[in-house]
Amino acid sequence: MIRRFRSLYGASPLHLLVLLACFALAGAGVVGWHLSPGDFRGVLAWFVAALLAHDFVLLPLYSLLDRIAFSRARSEAVAGADEQPAAANSRRRALGIPVSAVPYVRVPALLSALLLITFFPLIARRASAAFEATNGVSEQVYLARWLAVTGVMFALSALAYAFAMRRARQGRDPGAGPRRRGRPWLRPRAGVRSRTPPSQPGSPPAP
Amino acid sequence: MRLPGVDPNRPPPGPFRPDFWRSPLRGRWLTSVLGLILLIGIPIVAITGLISNVAYQPLLGANSIGTNLSPLDLYVFTWPTRPVWLYALTEGLHVTIGLALFPVLLAKLWSVFPRLFEWPPVRSPAHALERISLVLLVGSAMFEFLSGIFVTQFYYPFPFFFTSAHYFGAWVFIGAFGAHVALKFGTMRRGLRTRGDVMEAAGSGAALEPGPVSLTAVSPGPVTMSRRVLLGTVGAGSLLLLVQGAAGAIGGPFRFLSLFGPHTNPGSGPLDFPITETAAAAQITPASVGDAWRLEVVGKQTLRFSREQLLAMPQHTYDLPVACTEGWSTTQRWTGVRLRDLATLAGVHEAATVTSDSVQPAGYVVTLGSEQVADEQSLLALRVNGIDLSLDHGFPARVISPAVPGTHCTKWVSGMQFSPVPA
Repeated sequence: MIRRFRSLYGASPLHLLVLLACFALAGAGVVGWHLSPGDFRGVLAWFVAALLAHDFVLLPLYSLLDRIAFSRARSEAVAGADEQPAAANSRRRALGIPVSAVPYVRVPALLSALLLITFFPLIARRASAAFEATNGVSEQVYLARWLAVTGVMFALSALAYAFAMRRARQGRDPGAGPRRRGRPWLRPRAGVRSRTPPSQPGSPPAP
Repeated sequence: MRLPGVDPNRPPPGPFRPDFWRSPLRGRWLTSVLGLILLIGIPIVAITGLISNVAYQPLLGANSIGTNLSPLDLYVFTWPTRPVWLYALTEGLHVTIGLALFPVLLAKLWSVFPRLFEWPPVRSPAHALERISLVLLVGSAMFEFLSGIFVTQFYYPFPFFFTSAHYFGAWVFIGAFGAHVALKFGTMRRGLRTRGDVMEAAGSGAALEPGPVSLTAVSPGPVTMSRRVLLGTVGAGSLLLLVQGAAGAIGGPFRFLSLFGPHTNPGSGPLDFPITETAAAAQITPASVGDAWRLEVVGKQTLRFSREQLLAMPQHTYDLPVACTEGWSTTQRWTGVRLRDLATLAGVHEAATVTSDSVQPAGYVVTLGSEQVADEQSLLALRVNGIDLSLDHGFPARVISPAVPGTHCTKWVSGMQFSPVPA
């Protein structure tokens, strides 16, 4: 009986029960929307818009921006499609650049973007027209604060990068593999692939 | 189950092909870690959100956010008056943890982005239902987080009433989240155990991940940033937003850290503490609260008091927080007349609720419960920190009551009606 259910449904009966409970609760929420004062279709439109804006605008946008911004770094890292990152890293080191700058640009950029996404109603002065009257603060101030915080984060990142470069150059030992000194959490774990065979004992076999 | 015209082995080009996804950072371990953080944090946000609804005492007067939806509304307790900072704590947690989880949510959704383009799109009825539940989950998560974050910035771009939409949206979210946890908990636990393998083999392919669709890129791009840096960045973003919420909630010497807190201090010296709404925005004119102002107290009899008469009554002073629904709070020293004294004067000696009206046109009309009225610290405040209230802080008189939401501390009070509670 259960086996027959499984082959028809594709999962255990418990799976179905859990999802039915989910839909029942969600249905109650939707009925609540419908019964409350205000525009029910507006709620649904916002629900769908929030989903689409995230899945089909925001996510592709930051993937695309990242690809554009760092395509040069990537092409430097991989001359040929099959080249290992370790080789790319050693080539970069040979050019006298011991530490990749990519994380040092990407991290403050991501954090600044996060603040912008979270507080854009204040930063872009999109809050209600009555905001200044309501609240007594000029909204211009938030744009300035966001720019200031962004500036500080990039400056700190630049300092960290300079520091990492200095350490890397000082402790340089030609021919040695990637070092693990300094601040490893700020450095891409370059070369891991070359040291570790892709399939290890204990990991599930490749299909 | 086969869909007509869909060949499971030949996905259309683009994101439906596994080799489209290049980031070497994606993988089960990353998704599981982010999932675990959300699993710990979201119940806190959900429970404190539901608690906020109880604190509004929706069964009284016109407090309800709309239609009560039995049996979803669980008012198993009446809202207490102690500790006085209770609402400041629960609402501060709701907003602060909610903000801190936002970057984790974004990272989690990024980590499972390839799953949106699974091929074939539907494998079985079970798979179809689960994907529908994920539409509800992601939609309601973005809806709840974005609407909440917008409203803490006084941004109301919605054609609907925020409070009820946010509340009922929460039930959609809680349902979808609960189902997702129930179905994926085991996957998450197994994913957490793959840490060693995955960390060492960053980007080494899908071999580590059995199952129909892998999160690990089959042909990963070069490693330009480690998983640790990614998690560190998410953590730093979380911390940035956490500080924004916490600095407003804790206030005092930390308030300056709340760079993106929309509240402000309209006064200086003893009046230097934040408000949500200025008198100007509430359309309070000096004339409407001038010498002609009277407080109308309605009980068994109706009385009218001038501000001088109220000041001549026994005055009491307490340190109480104003805890805004937007998450910030501020504790000040309030002086005024006890609500229960006013009730007695109006001839109401039994347990009673009080409904306060404001000079403010189209202001909220809110009702406090009998526990609040009976509490010795519930005041009609006339002074704050030793001086008269300013217009922005609610002159000539405002309600202040322990542990109630800030919106229930009516400013510019014009009338109070005490209604005995049927025993």
